[in-house]
Amino acid sequence: MRLLDIDDLHVRVDDKPILNGLSLSMNAGEVHAIMGPNGSGKSTLANVLAGHPGYEIIGGSIRFAGADLDGLAPEERAHAGVFMAFQHPVEIPGVTNMEFLKAANDSRLAARNLEPLSALEFMKKVRNLAQSLDLDSEFLKRGVNEGFSGGERKRNEILQLLLLEPKLAVLDETDSGLDIDALRTVADGVNRFHADGNGVLLITHYQRLLNHVVPDHVHVLADGRIVESGDGSLAHALEERGYAWLREDREDTPPARRSSGMRN
Amino acid sequence: MIDLDTLGNPPNWLAADTIERSRAALEGGLARETWKYSSLTKTLRMLIGAPGVSRAPLADVPEGVSVTRLSALATPPALTLDIERYPLAGITASLAAEGWLIDVKGSPDRPLVLDCETGINAPTILRVHRGCRVDIREPGARGGVRASVRVLQADAGSTVCWAQAELADDAEQWWLLKAQLKDNASLELHQHAAGARFRRLDTHVTLQGTGSNCLATGAGIVGPGEHLDRQQVVEHAGRNTFSRTKLHNLAGGRSRCSFNGRIHIHPGASGADADLSNKNLALDIEAEINTKPELEIYTDDVRCAHGATVGQIDPNALFYLQSRGLPEHRARRILCIGFLTECIRGPLADKVLNAFLARLDGAAPSAAAELPGGSAQS
Ligand SMILES: Nc1ncnc2c1ncn2[C@@H]1O[C@H](COP(=O)(O)OP(=O)(O)OP(=O)(O)O)[C@@H](O)[C@H]1O
Ligand SMILES: [Mg+2]
Repeated sequence: MRLLDIDDLHVRVDDKPILNGLSLSMNAGEVHAIMGPNGSGKSTLANVLAGHPGYEIIGGSIRFAGADLDGLAPEERAHAGVFMAFQHPVEIPGVTNMEFLKAANDSRLAARNLEPLSALEFMKKVRNLAQSLDLDSEFLKRGVNEGFSGGERKRNEILQLLLLEPKLAVLDETDSGLDIDALRTVADGVNRFHADGNGVLLITHYQRLLNHVVPDHVHVLADGRIVESGDGSLAHALEERGYAWLREDREDTPPARRSSGMRN
Repeated sequence: MIDLDTLGNPPNWLAADTIERSRAALEGGLARETWKYSSLTKTLRMLIGAPGVSRAPLADVPEGVSVTRLSALATPPALTLDIERYPLAGITASLAAEGWLIDVKGSPDRPLVLDCETGINAPTILRVHRGCRVDIREPGARGGVRASVRVLQADAGSTVCWAQAELADDAEQWWLLKAQLKDNASLELHQHAAGARFRRLDTHVTLQGTGSNCLATGAGIVGPGEHLDRQQVVEHAGRNTFSRTKLHNLAGGRSRCSFNGRIHIHPGASGADADLSNKNLALDIEAEINTKPELEIYTDDVRCAHGATVGQIDPNALFYLQSRGLPEHRARRILCIGFLTECIRGPLADKVLNAFLARLDGAAPSAAAELPGGSAQS
């Protein structure tokens, strides 16, 4: 079953084109990894999927679980099942993590016409999730991401992923800044999410995470489009050789063949 | 200017030249500077027309505490008003024709609840004796014209917590707290205020003694047509003194919100450590916010930080919340509450938070369902 269909997407910010005809398709239950040089548009893609208002879509379409995402507010996309783990999770002082998680969870349930969990049930659930991610329950009392280390923020993102049970997780460099043990903990969390039949779109710079969360497909995003797609071995090749060879390769390859190559 | 001659002679516990000095100060440059965003003339007119309050400011008097009329004392303690800076203090004291001394000689088993009635309240000296500990509350809920002058004298080693909530929106208020701290005295100050027809709060803390210290927080919320003006002075005079001042204000609609925070470090106040921060959140472009930090430092060996900002709701934080499924109006509400909650501290915190929530929801009734940061969870 198709989960995500991005077709010929063109996006700009302040008149600057950033995505230039990006196409990508994912089936439910698949793991796709996106790699690519800094500034190639990976976070832009993630933000556009989540509905960030700062990006202007000037062409193409995004279909998610059979419906067009165009015109949906970020919260409506969340309710439809899109979740983005932020590359840079935002600090919200004065709002405790627990209050934030409760409000998010209540909104999700309300959108499905379900009753909110009791405070006690909810606390138990969140504490268990925190524990499974090696996140001390002290973090639930602190302001949202306030004074959290890089790695703690990333674990907090995965906590939200597991709590909110979306259909698609877009993980924007969730592995960056994690120590070796934390990487494994986070990967376990992602795998648990995946095991429930959900889709994962992993944005990463390193092959490392892909040892733990094994991708079905690996794509290379450069200059705002997917320029190469393959299986897990592509990530190894990139780790060894960098991105330059793709560019040289591309010069003598018709773009049409490339874009059909990444379809599945 | 208004004719002050009708005021008659000052009471015996007030210096004979009080009115004269007040008159001179009203015309002075300092008053013009500190009354830039509130009209001094209007405030003066408001005070002169208001009735005096004769009742004692403290109804429930615990053991270890005494309340005395200043006029009944053979040698009343000096009412150090700093008239050059606070000319209205001199006028208020003259108008009140009465003054009170609250003497705290033990550590009372319950809070002292100070009444600030509608009208001109008599100046009150609160003296906390050596080593005593006291909790003072000023739940100033009343409206109408209100003026009061409080002088806190905290003796060596005393500990004072002062919590104030000025929430009535139908008030026209001027209020001054002058606190003087001796060696190692500690003051915890929580002053929260909603906007009103007119509200001007002056707070002046002087850290006189070695090691004296003050922690101050305050949250404010100002709605359409309302006015809130706060002036905060922290003077570091003794050695190794410490102060932290943190105030957040939220302003919406066509409102006016002003703040001036001044840190003054005297010569010889080595080891002083001062930090003052004022953040303001404007919900509408029509909201007028003025904030000005001032620093005067006359000693080298000090640590001093100082910041004032005016901003809008952070779009990244808003997107973050929305991306987690929160509708925009609820996300905005959470961000507003969070911003205020950072500064809503002290014994009256729950009451203040609830009053502020009610105000926020008055502005956006559709958001009323949600209560993160509400007292239920605190
Ligand atoms: N709001 C914005 N205003 C201006 N330029 C932007 C904005 N957002 C993104 N860009 C630009 O778009 C390009 C793509 O940015 P994006 O963050 O998507 O890259 P990325 O692939 O995620 O990079 P990295 O690997 O460093 O995270 C960059 O050149 C960036 O400077
Ligand atoms: Mg990025």
